[in-house]
Amino acid sequence: MADVNLSEAEKTFILHSVQDNFRDDGRSCEDFRHMEIETGLISNTNGSARVRLASTDVLVGVKVQLSPVDPENPEVGRMEFFLDCSANATPEFEGRGGEELASEITALLTRAYGCPSTMDYPSLCVLPGQQCWLLYVDILLLECGGNLFDAMSLAVKAALFNTKVPNVTMTKDEGGIELDVSDDPYDFKRLDVTGAPLVVTVNKIGHFHVVDASEKEEACSLARIMLGVTQTGTITAMKKEGSGSLDADSISDMMESAKKVGVLLNKSLLKALGEEEEQGTEAVGFLR
Amino acid sequence: MPTDTRRIQGPETSNSPYDFCPTATSDPALLEKQRLDGRDSAQMRPLFLRAGVISQARGSAYIEMNQTKAICAVYGPREVQRREDFSLKGQLTCQFRFATFASQHRRQHQQGNQEKDLSVQMLEALEPAVCLHKYPKSQINVYVTVLQHDGSVLSAGILCASLALASAGVEMYDLVIASSAAMYNDLTISDPTVQEEQAVLSRVGKGSSGMLTVAFMPSINQVSAITSDGGIQFDTLNKTVRTVIDNCQKLYPVLQQTLVKHIEEKKKGISSK
Repeated sequence: MADVNLSEAEKTFILHSVQDNFRDDGRSCEDFRHMEIETGLISNTNGSARVRLASTDVLVGVKVQLSPVDPENPEVGRMEFFLDCSANATPEFEGRGGEELASEITALLTRAYGCPSTMDYPSLCVLPGQQCWLLYVDILLLECGGNLFDAMSLAVKAALFNTKVPNVTMTKDEGGIELDVSDDPYDFKRLDVTGAPLVVTVNKIGHFHVVDASEKEEACSLARIMLGVTQTGTITAMKKEGSGSLDADSISDMMESAKKVGVLLNKSLLKALGEEEEQGTEAVGFLR
Repeated sequence: MPTDTRRIQGPETSNSPYDFCPTATSDPALLEKQRLDGRDSAQMRPLFLRAGVISQARGSAYIEMNQTKAICAVYGPREVQRREDFSLKGQLTCQFRFATFASQHRRQHQQGNQEKDLSVQMLEALEPAVCLHKYPKSQINVYVTVLQHDGSVLSAGILCASLALASAGVEMYDLVIASSAAMYNDLTISDPTVQEEQAVLSRVGKGSSGMLTVAFMPSINQVSAITSDGGIQFDTLNKTVRTVIDNCQKLYPVLQQTLVKHIEEKKKGISSK
């Protein structure tokens, strides 16, 4: 991630600001920064979304494809995550530089979405035991401004909300069953994302913790935990990151914060997406 | 008949015979009264550990939790090869591998996604414990190979690696103790076997069920890694974290004793020469 060089004095300032529940940009410890979400920007995808969380910029495109079922789970659809850390975000990502971060984030998203209650996976199976929809969720990181995990999970959920899966008609032939994917752009079904999780990262700074840390705050934090939280408060994934360790008691406080914030975030995201859909405003695109 | 050795002899894709078996996963609710290996739900498997099993390595350890078996080797501290990787803090690398025959399904030789994920989780668990500032410009490599997979592999890997690091004389704040639990509604199953893991994970989405692994450093009372899988109710998860930390406390003396035994043996070896 982009270099953040903080002096000891700056670190102390951030530490104290967190202590007083009044962070350097005026937020309290459990506040998110301003964010912008727009869906359906890219016409070549089945669903897309762009999330801008302060200066973190993430673009997600979902493409669906018919594919053979997974032999271990022959009656459900599949979802695969790919993350491209563009060198536009920071020169460190050039070449294979972003691979480690990418595999870390995709692993967490895969785990968070792995719980069957998060999505209606059986409805993505076209022909049980044979063909199912494979959702390729491609994430493009355009700018790093801290809190990548949360921004990406927001963008993924928004893009899945926007995804339109074409309807399939099946005809029985003498040779077997023939699948016919509708090419009518208005003949599609939507995905139910009410159960989809969002990742909430809680950073430990000093003796306190904050959500949605900026890059500066991340530089002050040695350990963080990430939770996949659904709208109902179920935890679908949890992991700790960073070179520091955490006190046993503070972990449960951090989990409590993450759950509280995650439930609220889920609700406001779905509300915002619903409003955008109703208004049907013209696409703003990448130039504001 | 001449054969092209570069060509793979056999079908390009094949299915494991186990895909066609009806999955006989038992209802995890039944595990409350009687687990498959006769333990009660809070009981852990007996732990067998031995340090110094690979003579070439700086430190090594072997772990056995009934049918889960893993071996770990630690090399280093040695010089960092690439100049651009230079740092005043030491670097720790972890590689977690399954032997190809370790699980029911044969695994590929290339490192799969699960192995990569486990490697990262193991690194997260060990890094806070190692005094990396004492090893400038150098790297320490940890390699864990699972020989037999019967559940709780991540905690077995972490236990084994922390013992191997200690036996290598790497300076650490504390030994890292890891333990796992499976959750199903109100029931918590400590140290699950692979069948129990599958039974719980196959119920994910129906009610609250999932897996939790915690890595803990008992003498400084710090959690170095925590990871969960599945869909779990918040309160259950919170409660289980406590239970698993208590389990870690119980394992601590076993590791300490193994280490003391290892050092005594080493001492004997030196004095007899």
